[in-house]
Parts: sequence; C-alpha cells; structure tokens
Amino acid sequence: MNNVWKKVKGLIPGDKLILIVALVIVVAIFTSLNGNYLSWTNFVNILVAASLIGLVAIGHTYLIIAGQNDLSPGSVAAFTGVLCATLVAMGVPFILAMVITLASGAVVGIFNAWMVNRIKIEAFIATLVSQFVFRGFAYILCDGRPVSITDKSYLWIGATRFLSIPLSVWIMLVLILVFGIILARTRFGRSVYAIGGNKDAARLAGLNPQRIVTILFIMMGVITALGGIVFSSRMHSGQPAANVNLEFDAITAVVLGGVSFTGGVGDMVGTILGVILIQAFNTGLIMVNVPSFWQYVARGALLLFALTSDYIRKTKREKALLESSKKALSSK
Amino acid sequence: MSHSVEFRNITKFFPGVKALDDVSFRAEGSRVLAFLGENGAGKSTLLKTLNGDYQATSGDYMLDGESVHFKSPHEAIEAGVSVIYQERQVLMELSVAENIFLGRMPTGRLGFIDIHEAGRMAQRIIDDFGLPIRPSTKVKDLSIAYQQMVEIMKAYSRDNLRVICFDEPTASLSDAEIDVLFRIIEKLRDEGKVVIYVSHRMSEIKRIADDVAIFKDGHYVKTVDAKTTSDAEMIRLMVGRDLGDIYDSLDRDKTIGDELLRVEGLYSDYVQPVSFTLHRGEVLGFSGLVGAGRTEVMRAIIGADRMLGGKVYLEGNEIHNKDPHAAMENGIVYVPEDRKTQGILSNLDVAKNITVSMLDRNSNALGFVDTSKEDEIVKGGIRDFSIKTPSPDKKIVELSGGNQQKCIVARWMATKPKVLILDEPTKGIDVGAKSEFYHMICSFAKQGLGVILISSELPEIIGLSDRIIVMGNLEVKGEVMRKDASEERLLSLAMSEGGEDK
Repeated sequence: MNNVWKKVKGLIPGDKLILIVALVIVVAIFTSLNGNYLSWTNFVNILVAASLIGLVAIGHTYLIIAGQNDLSPGSVAAFTGVLCATLVAMGVPFILAMVITLASGAVVGIFNAWMVNRIKIEAFIATLVSQFVFRGFAYILCDGRPVSITDKSYLWIGATRFLSIPLSVWIMLVLILVFGIILARTRFGRSVYAIGGNKDAARLAGLNPQRIVTILFIMMGVITALGGIVFSSRMHSGQPAANVNLEFDAITAVVLGGVSFTGGVGDMVGTILGVILIQAFNTGLIMVNVPSFWQYVARGALLLFALTSDYIRKTKREKALLESSKKALSSK
Repeated sequence: MSHSVEFRNITKFFPGVKALDDVSFRAEGSRVLAFLGENGAGKSTLLKTLNGDYQATSGDYMLDGESVHFKSPHEAIEAGVSVIYQERQVLMELSVAENIFLGRMPTGRLGFIDIHEAGRMAQRIIDDFGLPIRPSTKVKDLSIAYQQMVEIMKAYSRDNLRVICFDEPTASLSDAEIDVLFRIIEKLRDEGKVVIYVSHRMSEIKRIADDVAIFKDGHYVKTVDAKTTSDAEMIRLMVGRDLGDIYDSLDRDKTIGDELLRVEGLYSDYVQPVSFTLHRGEVLGFSGLVGAGRTEVMRAIIGADRMLGGKVYLEGNEIHNKDPHAAMENGIVYVPEDRKTQGILSNLDVAKNITVSMLDRNSNALGFVDTSKEDEIVKGGIRDFSIKTPSPDKKIVELSGGNQQKCIVARWMATKPKVLILDEPTKGIDVGAKSEFYHMICSFAKQGLGVILISSELPEIIGLSDRIIVMGNLEVKGEVMRKDASEERLLSLAMSEGGEDK
C-alpha cells in the first residue's frame, strides 16, 4: 500500500495530488450520505452542471495569472443567453444570431479592457461595473420575462450527445484542452505569466501588457457568450435572472486549482480539477438535501477554504525560496 | 543616564540575499555613531531589524543590558527606539502638535482631547529645540526640513527615548537646515541617548560623528574614530579592495567606429530637450546627480515614456520607438536601474527570464515556442556571462543580485542589439561581480556595440567611459572626454547653472 502511494506521488505533482485526494474525500462523504451519488448518471450530471463554470474558469485562469480578474461573467452569460434567444425569436437565423452574440461578448471584453487599461480602474472594481450593466441589459432586452426557444438547431446544442456525453461537456473539455495547450506552450501563454509577475518589468522586456490584457478580456467575453448560448439552449429559454454568482464559483475553482491571486502562478490542469471538485461539492449539497439557504453558507466556506489554501501555498513558496537561497548563500 | 545598544550575531536573509552576516558590536550613549558603507552593505537593513520592521533570521539585541525583541516598529517606539527615515512618516493634514502626540493626545476629564494642553506641551518641546514653528501649524505647510524636525520631536516627546537613528537624514536638506539638524543631534547626544547616523556623505560624518562603524557586503568590518581616521582609510575599509586596479586591468584595445546613434532635441514629460551621439565601439557615460534626468532620457529613447519631440537616428536612419518592443526590434535595449521592480520577472525561473524577450523569435507561425532553441540561448547566456545558478529552472529571485543582473544582460544580448543601455548596472552588487561587469562592458564595446552607461559612482564612470555626458536639472550640462575627466570636473558640471554652452 505504502509503495503504491509513493509511486502515485512520484507521478503526480504534490499540489495536484491534494486536489485529487480532496475530490476522493468529497465523493466518499456524499456517497455515504446518498448511495446514488457515485454513479455514471450522476457523474455526467456533475459534468453538465460544471460545463458553464468550466468555460468561465478558462477565462479566469488566464486573467488571474495575468494579475487581472473578472466579476462580470454571470451577468454576461445571462445577457448573451437572452440576446441569442431574442434574436432567434425575432426570426434571425440561429447561426447568424450566434455570431452576433459571440461578437457582443467580444464587445463586453473590449469594454472591460478599456476600463482597466485606459481609466486605470482595478479589474476587480471595473468588472463590477459590467456585472451591473449587463445584468440590467439582460432584463431590459426581454422586459424581465424569460424568452423561450423553439428553434430546432438552437435546442440541438443543449440536447445532443456524443458517446453518451452531452455536447456542452465536450465543448468545455475541448476548450480547456486547447486553451491549456496555448497557456503552456505558446508565446502568448508565456507572456501571460510574464505580465502577471510584474507588468512594468514585462513591458521593459519588450512585451505589451495592455494588448495582452485586452486580448484576455475579449477571450473571456467570447467564451462566456458561448457558455451563455449553450446554457440557454439547455434551459430552452434565455433567462435574465440566471447565472448569478457564476463568477464566484469559477474563481473558487481556479484558486482551488492553484492559480494565485498574486498573479503569475498556476495552470489549466489545476483548473479542471478545481472545476470538477467544486461542482461535485455543489451537486452533493443538493443531493443530500442541504437547505438552499445553507448551501450559500457552504459555498462561502469553500471559497474561504480556497483562499486560505492560496495563502498557505504562497507562504510555503516564500519560505522554500528563503530556505533555498539561504543554503545557496551559506555554502558560498 | 547613558544608554547602550548591543548587536549580537545578527543575521538576516532575504530571497537571494544574505543582507546581514553575523553582525556584532556595541553602540554607546553620549556618542554619535555613524554607519558607513556602500549601497547594499546592510546599514538600513540593520536599522530595520533593530526597530522591528524586519525580523532578524538569527541573533538578538541588548538594550541597556537587557535582551529585547521587537515585533513591529510600534513596539520599538514604545520601548524608546526610534528611526527617522529619509521619507517622512508624518501625517501632512495634521498639526505639529497632533503629529508629535499622535495616539497619545492629552485628554480632559470626559475623555475629550485637550487641544490647548497638547499645544502647550508641544510648544515646550519646540522651545527646547529652538525652532521657529507653531504647534497649530499643519505639517504640510512646513518645509521638508521642519517636517523632519516634527518627526524627531515626536520621538523626543517620549520620556523613555533611548535610541534614535537617522537614515540618510540630510538627503534633501539645505546647508542651513543641516546646521539645525546637527545642533539637535548634539543635544540628543549630550542627554545620553544612543544616536546612530547613516549617511554616504563623508564630510557630514566627519563633522557630526564620534565613531564610525564600517559595513561591507552585509558584514560589520570595524568601528574607527571619526576624527582621527583618514577618508582614504575609511574608504579602503568600506570597499575592501582598491577598484583602481580593476580599471587599470580592463582591455581597452579597441577602435571607435562611425556614428551609430544620434539623438536630436529629444524630450518627454520628464526631461528637457537633449542631443548627443554614440559611436560603434564606444562606451558613453552619463553622469549626474540622482534625479538629473539620465534615466528619463533613456526611457524616452526606448519608448518606455512617450517621446514628445526630437529625433532619433540609428545608423543614419530615423527611427520611432513606440514602445520598448519596437526599440528592441530596432536594436536598442535597456537594462533598467531598479532590478527588482523593473528588471527581473520574479515569479519566473532563470531560463524564462533570459528568454522572455526572444518569445517572438523563438516561436513558429502558430505561436508555439521552440524549447530547444530556448535551451540553447539559456545555456549560452549562463556560460557567456558566468551566471551562477544551480540550474536554469531555479527561480531568479534565489540568485544573488549580481547574477540576477547578469540574467537581464543575457536576456538582452540574446536579441543581438546594436546599442546597449545600462542604467546603474552595478548598484547593490558586490565588488567581485562589479569587476566582472566592468570587463563585460569593455568586451561589448570591443565587439562593436555602442554602450551607454549611466552611473552615479564617479570612479566607475570615469574608469569605464570613453566620453562622458554630464546631466543636471533634466538637461545636458556638458561633455567631457575620458582624458580630461576628473571627479571634480564632473561634479562641478553637474551642479553648474548654465546649459550646454559652457
């Protein structure tokens, strides 16, 4: 048993291992409380429920590594869902409606980047502006009433399955993979880490932090719009009140996955584990009938846990750094 | 009663730096003790570990024979240990009296602050100090010197003041103001306090200090008598070796080629119009006092600050650097002065710090980075600049300051620049690494690069430059060839009133 454990430890880096262990514990606890928890159906359910969080978490992984943040995705997902449903209801062909909706996501991103780059507002506050504005637009667009969807091709997105797994899950998995590779292997991904560590130094080293930040916000806007379209299709309607606090679930997942609020640290593997962990937790709370008011408290506790572990990791990094330079300098 | 402080085996580590190494000595009251040492010798760090701003990694303090340990500057102040910093710590919007008694204003019976009593108490201290200011004046309306006096009075107003330290207190004071400060320091000394005085200025130290504690690279060297020890002797103790030998051993066998860079009337928000030329194989020094505008000229040239007017020609062609990236593409690169905040990317390892500027050139059309190309550059950089690192994937902050700086130089040399701008490249670097940098600079020039060297250390700039441009007040004050350069000449130009037409 001990040997197996050692082998596992050698294969998987320590911080990821902790996440996997946490996931196993969460699954074990909820399974013991409700026997139906550990099943293929429920696993797929968790992935479907995680699909929107997962998409938004891709954007947050990039933004937080770059030293930014975004509090608008919940509102933007609702707004884009309502927008796409409204356009289709007005008779616009679905494909065209989708293109317009994705473009509107890009516009949201440009607006966020403009506030951060030009008016120099902290991203955390700037995107709060968008959170309010686009929630408002979502209600204004449909006059507060959900817009139902009857278009066949629109509904197909939320209903179809490949290999018995819904399309929405595939979209999330493929995008996480693609953006994970971009983050780890391309010059763009590497620039994101560089500006997250120190914007000024990165600029003097020949990078263009403002342009990178703009691209990241646009990326977040478009991905969120895609998420909004898929979500509305699953719900058979564009709902202006949907996806409240979506960004907090995504941020919790990303921070659980090892992305640090100080910027410059983290990766996509951590994010996918964090996403699954947080949705396993949220779904579990529902399945064991935790009253919905208490679910808020539990989710707050999870966010606190994520932030605390971020803090502990940071202190550990600093300590290790000090120790190793102590060693290097003493031996001199 | 006379107080004393004893430092016992104080060691302090920061990532990549051993800032203090086993420092032990004793400071007596009724005497002024000066700390003397180069930048990065550990003087300020020692004060900060004394007053609890930093925690020593090991070692402790004896205050009046009693072991103490402060967790914060607040605790230290409560115990009678105050540090007066270069940057003032007073609250601008409050009055003199409110600043002096901050947090302990006298109160009446009902717990309300008794503003008149505070005024009277403050007036007594002001009279003691013999200053022409009033307790009710807002601190922001005072001159910088008097703001500093308020800070000293704040420390003095505590009955139990035992140790008072001054960290470069005269940096922004006029001569008359310095006289007032020194009178007060003498008063504190005569009352038996331990007075510690940190400064670079030898003449001040000679004037005010009784003893001089000398520091070098985080070590305490020894304490000498301020009045009987010669300047040369103190500098020898402080530098540890004669840099003159290093300058003499440099390889200057090179030819200065044709014009490489021509700057005409360049100005930005931060600097007046400046013109100069740089030739292939030339080391062009930029001398001047801190704040003379040298860094600002370079930032405008590379597009870090917006150039508002003027022209820049490289090899005869006019160029426009809209940002540092464009400058790099044109072959002009800049190693910034503040390594920590502008040079290194502290979250990344050595390899990624070296290759960050080559991301474009090392990646294919799809944007994927060719890691084998990068490995080559990293290996080459570590070898060519003898960067001491256990491995390329060590975090850059674990390296010593000199090796971090070499990484930044390696980063830029990999881009094959034509003009290399070095802004205070040897600041806070130990003497051994300094001499390596000097040899490096000469070999760059020999390879045909144009090197611009900004340095505030006069021997360094005279020892390395072929030609020196002196700046002051955000404009060029004059130009001196190497054979005519002397420290006096450069200083008098830097402080002169006139412009370029000398």
